[in-house]
Amino acid sequence: MTSVANVVDPARKGYDRVVVPAPEGGTRSLSRKQFEGLPLRERVSYLIDGTAQFFLDGAPISPSDAMRA
Amino acid sequence: MSVARKALEMTQAATEAIVKRAEARYDTHRQEIFRTTDRTFAGLMIGQWLFAILVAMTYSPYGWQGKVKTVHMHVWVALILGAAITSLPVGLAWLRPGEPLTRHVIAAAQMLWSALLIHLTGGRIETHFHVFGSLAFLAFYRDWPVLITGTLVVAIDHLLRGILWPESVYGIPNPEWWRTLEHASWVIFCISFLVLSCRRSQRDMQFMAEKGAELEALSENQWRNSSAVERAANDEHER
Repeated sequence: MTSVANVVDPARKGYDRVVVPAPEGGTRSLSRKQFEGLPLRERVSYLIDGTAQFFLDGAPISPSDAMRA
Repeated sequence: MSVARKALEMTQAATEAIVKRAEARYDTHRQEIFRTTDRTFAGLMIGQWLFAILVAMTYSPYGWQGKVKTVHMHVWVALILGAAITSLPVGLAWLRPGEPLTRHVIAAAQMLWSALLIHLTGGRIETHFHVFGSLAFLAFYRDWPVLITGTLVVAIDHLLRGILWPESVYGIPNPEWWRTLEHASWVIFCISFLVLSCRRSQRDMQFMAEKGAELEALSENQWRNSSAVERAANDEHER
């Protein structure tokens, strides 16, 4: 029997979209490249506060799974 | 102080600490590469010096002045000029490893070694490969300005010797006027890829340091969200 883990393309792991708080209030949706382009301080504070929500193919994933790739 | 205010201050302090550790990791990694490469070049310089003496003794060990046989000038050039080229970079690699001045002096000296070896072999075209090998070695620093220093030194050397003493660099007395430009173009071709490679390596090192910071931040978040009971259990386990 083939497990789900075996059919997932390893290159597809991680995240492709992040929603983070916007400076002017509300939220903003960023691509992975945009998120990685943010200053490290900003990314770290989102991760500490848990205010960054990660998505892969439109489905939410946990920050741990997002950071794995 | 309100709970929200306290939480904000805790986040700021943790963020600062994590970012500082990431910067320190990146700097330490770079310094380690600089120091290791400095030491490698110090060894290479001494090796090149011995090799140059061997080349001079093999190619033209003796000269003739009238009926008197003397040690050829090239042997002395290899010995004395070689020592002069070698001493400063080796001294700096020993006394000031990891500093920008050290690696730029090493880059210049390495190119002067190319120039000396080319001269000692009578401008053999094959010895010019030493220039390209040296540039590749200099890329070990992953610091692209070092390649620019090396390129400038070799370009100035080729230009001046090409005009003043063409046999020394090309092995013929009257090379085409554009010969120096041709050599310079190949060097530029070579370093343009090496510069890209250095920049990419630097970005990769930064990425690794930042990835570590993100994982630390995640761990901090998990610790904050864990219950007091879980924390106590974790502490007990660690003890």
